[in-house]
Amino acid sequence: MFKGAFSIWNRDMLVLRRSLFTELLAVVASPLTFYLAFGFGLKGYIANVEGVPYTVFMAPGLITMTAVSAAFDESAWSMWFHRKVQRTIEAYRVTPITVYDIVIGKIISGFTHGALKGVAVAAVIFLLTGFRVAVTHLAGYLAFIVLGSMIFSCLGTVCGTLLDKPETIGKVQAVVIMPLIFMSGVFFPVSSYPAAIRGYVTAIPTTALFEGSRVALLAGSLNGAYLAILAFSAAVAFAGAVAIFNRKIEE
Amino acid sequence: MESALSLRAVTKRFGPITAVEDFSLEVVRGTIFALLGPNGAGKTTIIRILTTLLRPTSGTALVEGFDVQHEGKRVRRLIGVVPQENNLDRYLTARENLLLQARLHGMAPAESRRRIDELLELVGLVGRQHDFPDTFSGGMQRRLVVARALVHRPRVLFLDEPTTGLDPQSRRAVWEYIESLKDSMTIFLTTHYMDEADALCDRIVIMDHGRALVDGTAARLKERMAHAHVYELQFRANAERYEAMLGGFPFVRSLRRTGDTFRLCLAGEESLKPLMDAIGTDDIRKLCLLEPSLEDVFIELTGREVRE
Ligand SMILES: Nc1ncnc2c1ncn2[C@@H]1O[C@H](COP(=O)(O)OP(=O)(O)OP(=O)(O)O)[C@@H](O)[C@H]1O
Ligand SMILES: [Mg+2]
Repeated sequence: MFKGAFSIWNRDMLVLRRSLFTELLAVVASPLTFYLAFGFGLKGYIANVEGVPYTVFMAPGLITMTAVSAAFDESAWSMWFHRKVQRTIEAYRVTPITVYDIVIGKIISGFTHGALKGVAVAAVIFLLTGFRVAVTHLAGYLAFIVLGSMIFSCLGTVCGTLLDKPETIGKVQAVVIMPLIFMSGVFFPVSSYPAAIRGYVTAIPTTALFEGSRVALLAGSLNGAYLAILAFSAAVAFAGAVAIFNRKIEE
Repeated sequence: MESALSLRAVTKRFGPITAVEDFSLEVVRGTIFALLGPNGAGKTTIIRILTTLLRPTSGTALVEGFDVQHEGKRVRRLIGVVPQENNLDRYLTARENLLLQARLHGMAPAESRRRIDELLELVGLVGRQHDFPDTFSGGMQRRLVVARALVHRPRVLFLDEPTTGLDPQSRRAVWEYIESLKDSMTIFLTTHYMDEADALCDRIVIMDHGRALVDGTAARLKERMAHAHVYELQFRANAERYEAMLGGFPFVRSLRRTGDTFRLCLAGEESLKPLMDAIGTDDIRKLCLLEPSLEDVFIELTGREVRE
């Protein structure tokens, strides 16, 4: 079962290995910029947030953000590229593997990109700054990263499957993905929202992701409701991505 | 003998466009079969249906007895595909492209290694096996795609315009591989080139507008044209004037011009006299009877002009 998916994932990892260093360098640049600009540039203006210094508050969100947006980017662009540019999806489709193998292999590849790049950013923030967390908190945090990367990888796969023009994928990133990430607890706590809309914001899965992962990493406590929202979203996104790919590709 | 391929009343529509209409065909095992037709005839659509990439709107298609719609996986185990446009992975080297194919077919590593060495040798890419396809010429890329289609020793090989865009030398090379494979598999190819179908194929079907027009061996198809008399006519001068005249005669069934030379197909021998009477002999440099080529059959059947 899923040997085909494994072969495709393997191919993606071989390609990633060839450019691993530049990929990681590129992905570390932007969260590090945010960290330095907001964390240190605004240091004098921002007091502690939720009981911790702003640089500490922001770090988990930046790591999570890197992981999930890398998962989305990789899945969306890779699916689009293999479908529209290189047409390798078609080459895969005339071999005995199934469409499920293809889409699952691609989702796992996006997920792996996300996880690796998240770890890279975490390592850099850890090395370059005084940011430290308890090792025991990592397991819980990882659960959030895994679920988040999975959701975003599936969303990316859906975009890469449905959208034929590259500029449309760019627009989805700018109009949907970025706001979704920025508005849900990376740079400020959800408690900052007016009470009237806080309820809605809390219901968005990305809030569960960013709030839940921050608390998991900084305080070591797991929010069951948030984890449940994410697990459910991941299941729905996965089923949706597989079904959409299946329908679109069979014409 | 059993059929390697059968299409039974296959129709494929894309919205209002009917790409393939009520198309039936049986291809016997071990033959080299050519599907000929102008742009947009429906050749690629038929290949895509047979290789499980497209569902027919109606009708059934079988490969080695397996239904492409319901037994797709079994069909895909048996086929090798060279698509119209190269779809190599440009982030993998030539050898890695072949290795991935072997893996997707579930081949054991030792066996794939041996097979890939053999194929690289066959297509003359041993020296370039660790290079990326982007650095290859068009002919080399094409050869790599052919090699990829052969990794798992398919029983049926589909080649969609295998030699389009290749220079005469590379075309011959590809023909040679195809010939050498002939004994071990059924080969289904599409082409625009008459000489290709003529040189390689046991059987030829000419199609247009999604329908089959004629079916037979190259020799039989030419025979069908035997009643049509093809002449070559060369003028010393005034070619423009004669072109207009020739085009106006009802018994001139088709007319093609290259410089001062016209290739025309007459309705019958009896048309020769009225033709000569009308154009006179003053400006004629040469007149000769030609053996009809497949190209004449093609043009005769698909219309005088090449459609857009
Ligand atoms: N995905 C599609 N959507 C809509 N129309 C299509 C699609 N694929 C093919 N067609 C139409 O079906 C018809 C047959 O196309 P097909 O590609 O099979 O022709 P072909 O014989 O391979 O031509 P060529 O020699 O140019 O490759 C054309 O009119 C084409 O426009
Ligand atoms: Mg075609």
